[in-house]
Amino acid sequence: MKPLTVNFRSKAALTLADAQIQQSIEHVYTGFFKGRLTAAGDTPDWEDLRTKGKAIKDHTIAHLDYYLGLLTDNVEKNGGSVFFADDAEEARQHIIDLAHKRKIKTVIKSKSMVSEEMGLAEAMTDEGFETVETDLGEYIIQLANETPYHLIAPAVHKSRADVAKLLDDDYKDGDRVPDATELTMMARKKLRCVFERADMSVTGVNFAVAESGSIALVTNEGNGRMSTTVPRVHVAVMGMEKIVPSIQDLSTMLRILIRSATGQRISTYVTMVNGKRKPDEEEGPEEFHLVIMNNGRQKLLEDAQMRESLNCIRCGACLNACPVYRKVGGHAYGWVYPGPIGAIVTPVLTGLKDAGNLPSASSLCGACHDACPVKINIPKMLLELRYRTAEGSTAKEERTSSAKERGIWKAWRMGMMGRKRFDIGSRIASIALKPLSRNGWLKKAPPPLSGWTSTRDFPAISASSLKSILKKRSGGSK
Amino acid sequence: MPENTTATLRPDRVTLFASCMVDQLAPNVGESTVEVLEYLGVSVDFLNDQTCCGQPAFNSGFRSEAYPVAERFIDLFEKVKGPIVVPSGSCAAMVRNYYGDLFRDNKELADRAKRVGERLFELTEFVSRFFGTDAISGKRVGAATYHKCCHLLREIGVDEQPVEMLTNIEGLEYSPLERADVCCGFGGAFSVKMPDISSAILDEKLDFIEANGSSTVVAADTGCVYQMQGGLRRRGSDVQVVHIAQVLAESIRNSSTSEAKR
Amino acid sequence: MADRAKFIAGVTAGLGRTEVLSPISITETAGFEDAATAKANADKASTDASERSIELADQMAEEAAKAGWKVHRASNAEDAASYIARICVEKKATSVLRSNHDALDQIGVDAAITNTGATLDTTEHSGDYSQDQIEKSKSKAFSAEIGITGVDYAIAETGTVVLHPRSGLSRLVSLAPPTHIAVLRPGEVLDSLDELFAMERNDFMSGELAGSMNLISGPSKTADIEGTTVTGIHGPLEVHLVILAG
Repeated sequence: MKPLTVNFRSKAALTLADAQIQQSIEHVYTGFFKGRLTAAGDTPDWEDLRTKGKAIKDHTIAHLDYYLGLLTDNVEKNGGSVFFADDAEEARQHIIDLAHKRKIKTVIKSKSMVSEEMGLAEAMTDEGFETVETDLGEYIIQLANETPYHLIAPAVHKSRADVAKLLDDDYKDGDRVPDATELTMMARKKLRCVFERADMSVTGVNFAVAESGSIALVTNEGNGRMSTTVPRVHVAVMGMEKIVPSIQDLSTMLRILIRSATGQRISTYVTMVNGKRKPDEEEGPEEFHLVIMNNGRQKLLEDAQMRESLNCIRCGACLNACPVYRKVGGHAYGWVYPGPIGAIVTPVLTGLKDAGNLPSASSLCGACHDACPVKINIPKMLLELRYRTAEGSTAKEERTSSAKERGIWKAWRMGMMGRKRFDIGSRIASIALKPLSRNGWLKKAPPPLSGWTSTRDFPAISASSLKSILKKRSGGSK
Repeated sequence: MPENTTATLRPDRVTLFASCMVDQLAPNVGESTVEVLEYLGVSVDFLNDQTCCGQPAFNSGFRSEAYPVAERFIDLFEKVKGPIVVPSGSCAAMVRNYYGDLFRDNKELADRAKRVGERLFELTEFVSRFFGTDAISGKRVGAATYHKCCHLLREIGVDEQPVEMLTNIEGLEYSPLERADVCCGFGGAFSVKMPDISSAILDEKLDFIEANGSSTVVAADTGCVYQMQGGLRRRGSDVQVVHIAQVLAESIRNSSTSEAKR
Repeated sequence: MADRAKFIAGVTAGLGRTEVLSPISITETAGFEDAATAKANADKASTDASERSIELADQMAEEAAKAGWKVHRASNAEDAASYIARICVEKKATSVLRSNHDALDQIGVDAAITNTGATLDTTEHSGDYSQDQIEKSKSKAFSAEIGITGVDYAIAETGTVVLHPRSGLSRLVSLAPPTHIAVLRPGEVLDSLDELFAMERNDFMSGELAGSMNLISGPSKTADIEGTTVTGIHGPLEVHLVILAG
């Protein structure tokens, strides 16, 4: 998927003005966010589980080379094939070539963000394969020709009327809007025929178990199960970091993933696949292919400050907790991963130069850090990326701050390096702003504060500093 | 944070760090902080040379500018003994949780910063930890609610203690604010750099404040106070947003008995 | 194309090393417990399952109901079979598919079903591995109105039925038909996910890991449209759990 991060501000502005989307995004808080809180509250050892989950991921990433080798050995032992893709184009081309080789007609896709990095569905359609997204949310946005709005709920921004227009050929504006059940049954009917004729599936991977060569899929709909059952060829795609060492680790990881994603104790279906179908099975794929993709994760790995982002298990909890995501929506982030996790990985994976706005689009409230099941310190990484955009600390070309901005902070520093100038500067500002203020407030402030007063009154600067006030008060100053 | 109200461990002298915003924009918050501490029997010193902890530049990524200002802060405050109290969760968080990262290439300075951080407290944290949330009894009539400033909540770990302090005030009708722990949208320079997003987040907060119906909103960080008050004023609302130091100081002044607790 | 050695060498370099290091297992993660430990954990889980079978069955009933299973506590085999027959009648089922689980033989479900007039088929493997036979099996499952299975395990913590598809138990019998009925016997309920994965790990260490595993916790559902939960998107719209008495 081509990054459009450079459009962050304008896309955000469009979403802020869209009352219907603002209403739709509320579900992310009232449903998922609240759900996670309740589920966490009902789980007596929740904090221990988070600690354990973080330990599993830290350990896995620290030994990623070893576990990649182990996973590959075991997938091959089970009769599967492993393809290593340096980047999204390589991965995509491999899957397309495979589909041609196997004379595939119909491809079904189960939810996979990694496949979005590849732009896979679109590419396969262009190659002449009937390619159908089977996760209801993904199906809806496929019909709408859009990209996912959220990691877990790709069509969260769509209203029922939007969905009706996409699913029901007869629906016109002004008709009674079908309810969610009616729309869901329409989709069930349409997709059921597709399942029956599909000859290849592409699924994601929630966790790949290194010691057994297994993959685990977490779903609620049943499309994950269909995808690992009906077609002759099953291709699973994963980012290289989605590994856990042992089968036993799934117990911890499933608990924290599912509760954090939707607030459920467990998803309706958890499917563990240990390769292609066994010789004595009635159905199941003849072939199992695992595509392990790098696509820039190397950069995160090498980057000591950013490496922790590879611990992400893609639950979406940070999105649900983020006051910024809940206002600007998923598309503003311009690439596959929205929200706080997107704000830290997208700049590294697609280039900080165009994505510099993403780490700045945050009040640093820390809600994402609180919400993360594996305790990823997202605020710390946002600050790190801000350092790079401001001063080009890691690479000169990453600096995108203007000379004006750098000048402002230089002046700020000079003003803070001595008490006298701190006081004088403040008194000058106080006097300068006085004509603009009434009753201690300004309706219009000069730049760089004019952004503030576009929507809020700004406080006047005090005529006296605390230092002088306390001096007048008896005792107390040194 | 565990409360420790053993009389023998109660400090009787602290140094006040105002924070640049309180110092120059809202000195009455600083005055109120001194009043509250003196009421508790704590004498307060003020370092005249203080300016800023460096957070604004650090949060904007300009670490080369933040560094000397932060180093100056450490130079100044390591010279005093005893606890340092600041009426701001975000400044306390900067010193305690982020100076380590800012000084990551200078181990010696980072260690010095750590030692200062160990005795630096946000105001409500200081009061509840050493004196208890029931240490201040006073009177302030009116309906009030409380917004949980993000850094105080998540970086310092102060959650319900200020609420307990408010409910201890005679005449104060407290009701909890819905989504009290959701950000007000301030975020420092973010509020000016991306004012449309900051204001959209603020609008939601103000809707909940108006729905709550209290005439006063209490918060513990001046930036948040101004974000919310500025927005309410723009809406033509009469709701007052007041720093908790001021509320506590007012309640002490109004109270019929104003003896300091020992 | 990226070859394995080069890809992994890149990761090693990214980690700041020149060679792959075998990890020292750390106690905070499950680590790689040896075969003896794995067996001990699995035995503990099995023992627990049988010693507390009544308590766990009760907990399972409660959690399964919360998860959206329609739960029926059967007083005996006959009661179980007639409950299943009642569902066939209610659904006006003409074609029913069942797995080869012992539990279903035990309750003598076949007669009860065929007496309703429905055709009953089993997911018995014909020994024919041709693509043609596979397509036939698929169609059978897609056209059946009701799918019936036993369980391989159940998990009380979450109200989950665990199935290991294999010869005599297809993947689709519990997925394609719009109604799925699972018959649970006492002693089959494990306490939590920990116990399940202990059993799975032990199977793996003894070289007997099943080809695949499905954890099923209620009817298929989605909340993708306006956050409204709707049951029955691709999997069964209705799931029944018949719990046999001890």
